[in-house]
Amino acid sequence: MAVEFKDYYKTLGIERTATQEEIKKAFRKLARQYHPDVAKDKKNAEEKFKEINEAYEVLGDPANRSKYDNLGANGGEAGAFRNAPGRQGRGRRGTGGEENVEFHFDGTGFSDFFEQFFGRGGRFDGTNEFGGPGVGSAPEAGFVQRGSDFESDIMVTLEEAVTGSERTVSLQRVDRRTGEARTQTLKVRIPPGVHEGQAIRVAGMGEDGIGGGASGDLYLRVRLAAHPEFRVRGSDLYYGLDLAPWEAVLGSRVIVPTLKGQVSVRVPAGTNQGRQLRIAGRGLPIGRTGNQGDLYVVINIELPPKVTDQERELWEKLSQISDFNPRKN
Amino acid sequence: MKALQVLEPGTQTVYTIDVAARLAQVPRRLIVLYYKHGLVASVTDPAGNGWYFDDEAIRIVRRIEYFRSVCGMNLAGIKLVMALTDEVERLRAELRFHHRT
Repeated sequence: MAVEFKDYYKTLGIERTATQEEIKKAFRKLARQYHPDVAKDKKNAEEKFKEINEAYEVLGDPANRSKYDNLGANGGEAGAFRNAPGRQGRGRRGTGGEENVEFHFDGTGFSDFFEQFFGRGGRFDGTNEFGGPGVGSAPEAGFVQRGSDFESDIMVTLEEAVTGSERTVSLQRVDRRTGEARTQTLKVRIPPGVHEGQAIRVAGMGEDGIGGGASGDLYLRVRLAAHPEFRVRGSDLYYGLDLAPWEAVLGSRVIVPTLKGQVSVRVPAGTNQGRQLRIAGRGLPIGRTGNQGDLYVVINIELPPKVTDQERELWEKLSQISDFNPRKN
Repeated sequence: MKALQVLEPGTQTVYTIDVAARLAQVPRRLIVLYYKHGLVASVTDPAGNGWYFDDEAIRIVRRIEYFRSVCGMNLAGIKLVMALTDEVERLRAELRFHHRT
């Protein structure tokens, strides 16, 4: 099965020469526009949001971006990737010179292209891959073996991590004995409180066992979608707040978004660049404890891009009367 | 059209060691062995409250079995690989956090 090449630059509407900063800006702009919570056409917006997120997952990381650029250089069209360097896993196993897809996921929020080259999924079992029965071969009499476990990433938005959600995942697999493909569609409830990297075990949905052996399990590994406003560390959220220099010096009151509506935050006078203001309990749920992580507001002082004559005069006056020297020590 | 099967994986479910052994399809003594080597964690302190394991522990036990039988690794090797994998995951998450600053 050929994997369709994804043009992530096109998805984000940027040039191939874009800087990391431009990529981030393009992602934020589009993610705000298509965020399922704000868009009117929710169904299409959700699809688009996932596409944007997938593109950012690859292009937002310089190592992944360079790997992706090399893939593009090797052809950039369907079918050109079979011999491309990188991940070739995903349960593919050649038998008799033919390539057979043993399992294939849909509805996880990631495309086949992403799964193949940037995903963490795979097939894990306790059997010997080379010695085990292949497609078309009959198992030996009395041979009992548990089926393999399947693993795949699933994209979960921060909002879904808070409230939980229900996702339709389809799983196509090839019967080892007959070679026939069958597709099973499941609705899986993602419980609230999941965290990055958590494996959700869907019992018995892995590969069928052999000779009456138990079926393997399906593990859906949570990959939290990038959010236009927040970054995640554990169960804490981080929000970058831009302040004018005088707001930081004099103090101010600003409106800050959270996952559950906006809050008003008092920025104390004399707040320095990089200072973190903690808003308790506005982060992500902490596993099974019933507690919530915190939201950290990280201060970023922005200078005005240009100053008027009057402003310049005031800054000059300030520089004359102030005895502050940041390099004194 | 046939109604879709709705699966509700309980991520908060904990299992006794016997149930965990059955789910992971390994003998009970192997889970004890893996626990003693620090490869798998009990959600409670076995000394006070007995052994209880969650889905993550089941996944780890299955992964250890994979390392043992497919990769031919011993416990020392598995311990090393799992520590390295955890560290890589942690560093990747940290790197991603900083890339998004």
